[in-house]
Amino acid sequence: MGSRTLNLPRPARVRMGAGGVPREVDGRRIEQVRESWLVEDRWWTGRPLRRRYWEVVSTRGRDLVVFHDLGTGEWFAQAG
Amino acid sequence: MVVCVHLPRFELIVAAGGAEALAGRARAIAPAPGSEARVGEVSGAAEAFGVTRGMALGEALARCPELRLAAGDPLGVAREWERVARALEGIGAALELARAGLAYFGSDGLRGLHGGDEGVIAAARRALGRPARVGAGPTRFCALAAALEVRSRRAAIVGEETQARRYLASRPVALLGYRAQTAALVEPLTRLGVRTLGELAALGRDAMADRFGAPGALAWRLARGEDDPLCTRSVEDCLEESLELWEAGSGLALERVLGVLVDRLLARPQRCGRTLRALTLSAQLVEGGTWRERVVLREALSDPRRVRLALAPRLALLPAPATELRLAAERFGPPEGAQGSLLESGCELQRARLRGAVAQMRVAAGPEAVLRALCVDPDSRVPERRVVLTPFTG
Repeated sequence: MGSRTLNLPRPARVRMGAGGVPREVDGRRIEQVRESWLVEDRWWTGRPLRRRYWEVVSTRGRDLVVFHDLGTGEWFAQAG
Repeated sequence: MVVCVHLPRFELIVAAGGAEALAGRARAIAPAPGSEARVGEVSGAAEAFGVTRGMALGEALARCPELRLAAGDPLGVAREWERVARALEGIGAALELARAGLAYFGSDGLRGLHGGDEGVIAAARRALGRPARVGAGPTRFCALAAALEVRSRRAAIVGEETQARRYLASRPVALLGYRAQTAALVEPLTRLGVRTLGELAALGRDAMADRFGAPGALAWRLARGEDDPLCTRSVEDCLEESLELWEAGSGLALERVLGVLVDRLLARPQRCGRTLRALTLSAQLVEGGTWRERVVLREALSDPRRVRLALAPRLALLPAPATELRLAAERFGPPEGAQGSLLESGCELQRARLRGAVAQMRVAAGPEAVLRALCVDPDSRVPERRVVLTPFTG
């Protein structure tokens, strides 16, 4: 069997506000940003990884983790 | 008749990325990280400057300032050499692999198939599909001497044993360097003024054994055209599993990855219940180049815990952090037997039932039917690197 990893990122529709802060994730309005962190890795290889993670809470009280791929500009959702 | 196939500078060609990269350029294989600073195989242009294999790196660079070093690629060499071996086995040859770039096989059983010794050699060349030096003789040492003497597109065939003795008499003692047991004799023999194999044979067996021990006696036999029979390998499937490491791995993280690879290898249906006898652990290094370590188990095993215990200490030999780890089963033992115990405990009985259920699930729904989640890098900042799915081994 090939390499199977759990918790792979899945594409998400995110509407950004000022400073790149998520305002809406997959149609859910965001109430609060709990935390944000930057991950930069494998910069010494041909496939560098640059992500800005956001942990946010929706207006219905759901905790979500999304990240902005700084290389491609796409957004993904992922369990933290 | 023994046929020798010699692919000169095989390791260097693989490490440099092709024979074209060596044309007219002084190249050599760089010393492996953590090992003695001596160069590996060298190109013809480097040899023209007096650089030889095994020379100290400082001396090599002093003799040839233009010398460019290529990182050794033992993994790539092993893969490419296996491809060459499989191609030769495709014509029906039972191979003895002396080292990467040097192989022998007997032509007696193949003459009828390919039309004489010339036909066998032509078939071998077609199978190789690349320039190679090919020679044939009554012994492998004689075949090697013939192969080293001819050009790439021709073949030399030495006939009878008496003819072989005459043929070898005028060859240099440097030929002994191609045999691991006698390689150390080349330098002292040259210093003693023994230049040809004929002069060596004239010294007599007792004198050679007295001065050099068993390697001396073997060298005398080789010089007289005598040799041991070929020791051919049996053709077996090679099962391989690999896992790319997100972060340059070492230590505990690497041991966890090894555990995943062992589980995967043991779950492969192609194993057919056979135990593992010899394994190859290899890695792609973060600094470039590769690392390879062959592990022959003291007894054939199929218990994942014991296989892991046997392999884990080898990870400490890695010269640099790895970006990819590979595990291949090269040789297999007999199928594992189910030995019942006199007093079966309830726990053991339950475990045996579980193993049976897992086996049945795999037969019914494929090898990925029963998996377990294994933490390989629980502290990684990137969530998808923390847990992988690996076959459940009971």
